[in-house]
Amino acid sequence: MMKFDFVNTTRKKKLEFLILALFVLLIFKFFYPTIDSSIFSIINDFLIYGLVAFGFLYISEITNLKISNPISLVLNVGILNAVIFFLTALSSVLFDEFENINEVSGILYTILSLVIFLIYISFATYILSSLRELFFLRQKKPSENNFKLMLAALVITSISATISYIYKDFQFIEKTFYVVSIVLIIINSFKVSWIAFLSKRQKIFLLFLSSIMSGLFALNFVFSNETNIIEQIIFNFSSGVQVYFSLVMLYGNIYFGIVFFTTLFHLPTAGAFDQKSEEVSSLIDLSKLMTQVLDFKELGDNITLATNKVCNSDSSWLVTEDNFTHELVSASNIGYVEADGITKAILEEIETPLNKLLSLNKKLVKVKLKNDTRTYIFQSIVIVPLKVHTKTNGYLFAVKRQKYFFDEDEKKALGAFADYSAIALENAKLIKESIDKERLESELDAARDIQSKILPDETPKCDELDVVSLFVPAFEVGGDYFDFFKLGDKKLGFVIADVSGKGISASYIMAEVKGIFESLARVIEDPKEILIQANEILKDSLDKKNFVTALYGIINVNSGKVTFARAGHMPLLVCSNGILNSLRPNGIGLGLDSSAIFRANIENMEIELNNNDILVLYTDGVTESQNSKDEDFGEERFKKIIIESSNGDLDDLSKNIFKEVSLFSKDKQQHDDITLVLFKWKNYNNMIGEV
Amino acid sequence: MVDFKVSSRGQDQVSIIDVKGYLDAHTAPELENEFNKLIEKEQFKVVVNFDGLNYISSAGLGVFMAYVETMREHEGDIKFSNLKEDVYNIFDLLGFPVLYEFFDNEEDAIVKFK
Repeated sequence: MMKFDFVNTTRKKKLEFLILALFVLLIFKFFYPTIDSSIFSIINDFLIYGLVAFGFLYISEITNLKISNPISLVLNVGILNAVIFFLTALSSVLFDEFENINEVSGILYTILSLVIFLIYISFATYILSSLRELFFLRQKKPSENNFKLMLAALVITSISATISYIYKDFQFIEKTFYVVSIVLIIINSFKVSWIAFLSKRQKIFLLFLSSIMSGLFALNFVFSNETNIIEQIIFNFSSGVQVYFSLVMLYGNIYFGIVFFTTLFHLPTAGAFDQKSEEVSSLIDLSKLMTQVLDFKELGDNITLATNKVCNSDSSWLVTEDNFTHELVSASNIGYVEADGITKAILEEIETPLNKLLSLNKKLVKVKLKNDTRTYIFQSIVIVPLKVHTKTNGYLFAVKRQKYFFDEDEKKALGAFADYSAIALENAKLIKESIDKERLESELDAARDIQSKILPDETPKCDELDVVSLFVPAFEVGGDYFDFFKLGDKKLGFVIADVSGKGISASYIMAEVKGIFESLARVIEDPKEILIQANEILKDSLDKKNFVTALYGIINVNSGKVTFARAGHMPLLVCSNGILNSLRPNGIGLGLDSSAIFRANIENMEIELNNNDILVLYTDGVTESQNSKDEDFGEERFKKIIIESSNGDLDDLSKNIFKEVSLFSKDKQQHDDITLVLFKWKNYNNMIGEV
Repeated sequence: MVDFKVSSRGQDQVSIIDVKGYLDAHTAPELENEFNKLIEKEQFKVVVNFDGLNYISSAGLGVFMAYVETMREHEGDIKFSNLKEDVYNIFDLLGFPVLYEFFDNEEDAIVKFK
């Protein structure tokens, strides 16, 4: 079965129905301008009821849009009310009453009466619909049925008026329902709780407005019941509608009369109510800020500003507490220096961390600051701890300078507000921490990326020389660097370096160091001279506290001659026939001091390799790897592994070292890069000689 | 992780900074603070006593490099004393003994200032 639910259809549909109803009425009036039989009278009235019903539903849609602003709704009603009064008063002054209205006819009268009827009926319906919105406004208990009952009474009274117009014997029915309607109207007129939520200014305006409106409604009600031209036209048009109109006017009169008195009684407490709603809206504002303001300082400013509103304080300020040190975050209506000084003076006197709201309310609070001739006098100071999970993170101070103490309500409001603020501040702090962490991680990613691009992809290959490298980056990039430079057919340049510091700054210096060695290696063939030049460049470009250790060498793959120099770096290890030598020529780190001192302290060292000799270059990440007892891996362990594995493959040596270091430091995070470069030289000349 | 502690005291217009524990990139700012305080008080003759320092990283070494120029410009200096062998080795490897004075005990360093 199809069910047609008119109440929930769209606004456009409702308008279509309204126009249709109006159209049907117009056609009816066109054919039967005067009504001379009871059956036509009933049809006429029911067409009009249909029109009013559709009109009411459509107008409800319009008035429903204004419920957020009850004063504008009331004002609309007032204007329509005034127009009705004006039209009625004017027409009864200008025109005489009809002698015998039933017999008046003619097209002009029909049109005129239709227009007047439509104006009055639409105004009355708009007023009724507006009163309905006001009725439902701010209702806590469902009382929809009361209003529906009243509407039903209005309808029945109107219909019985139609009937009693035809059958005069039934007039008592009309009178009975009329009284019932009035009783229901009075009951429904007490639904005025929306008045309480208006601001003081709105209440004053409403008081003024409702007194006028109640009076005008009373006059309109009287006009609609005594004989005048308008009453005659409407009554002649439809007797039921005339009753409906007069009841709406009565409803308006009673409702606004009650509104007037209610507003009058609310007026003395309006100020206090305003303050309460200010507190509530401050809390709402803050909850919005919590999601919008992520900046700690900005949030602090908003909190101190709102504090003054919430508890009527003259000044307020916010202090964070961390390990018994206090820091002023924000101050409202008081200087930072003053607030800071007063905070220190007060917190010295009281026991911190404070767990509950502290109120210095007893007598005048005098604060004398050091280096300040003035004495600060406050009527009252309230200190509220900002607590999250029983931990006090700071304090909110609110002070009154002159008038009054803080009353209990204000203190309670401040307490609630402080709890809320504490959470908001904690939130902002956590977000900042997570942003910082994310930034750090992305920086480290960038640093690792730079490092991996700077280091060579592959080691050089030639018959006489095996080269193996091992690089294990630390989580925080350590700034290790190594590289190889082919210098003609016979010679290979090599460098290993370690930049001081960590992270992105270390990786930038690394990039610079790579550039320096790349270019110097091509033009200078003296390790010592290369390092001197590198120091020259780095001394100027590095920060005072940064330096680079490096070892640069050149190996002649044919002869096995190695020339190298060291700038503060770990020694070069040479393993020959199971004997390990640590070679440490003089040389200070790059960037430590000026050219002259650097040059005076650096020297080249030359060695001749034998067949199967191993060269080991490394950074301190290897020897300073630590175990859970904070012991270093150390040089001795390192050297022992090299000696033990020196006869095997170079790859195995590298793997063994890595395995031992990893095993040793398995319980601890690797805190520096581990870099290892191994060479094994094969003497082909010698072999040929032997054959 | 091992803690790091830094404190300073004065003797005959020479300030002595005691460093203990583990000096690396994370604890270096505390040492920087101590130097800043001394500069504020215009005390440029500083002996750093390493008795009790177990480890120093490159960032820790950087602190001395950052402040030594200021001290020397004001007729002061940073001198080191009481270093454990492995800590001294780190300084030595880098070539610090060329640029700074090292002493076995604090008194010798203080005397050197006079």
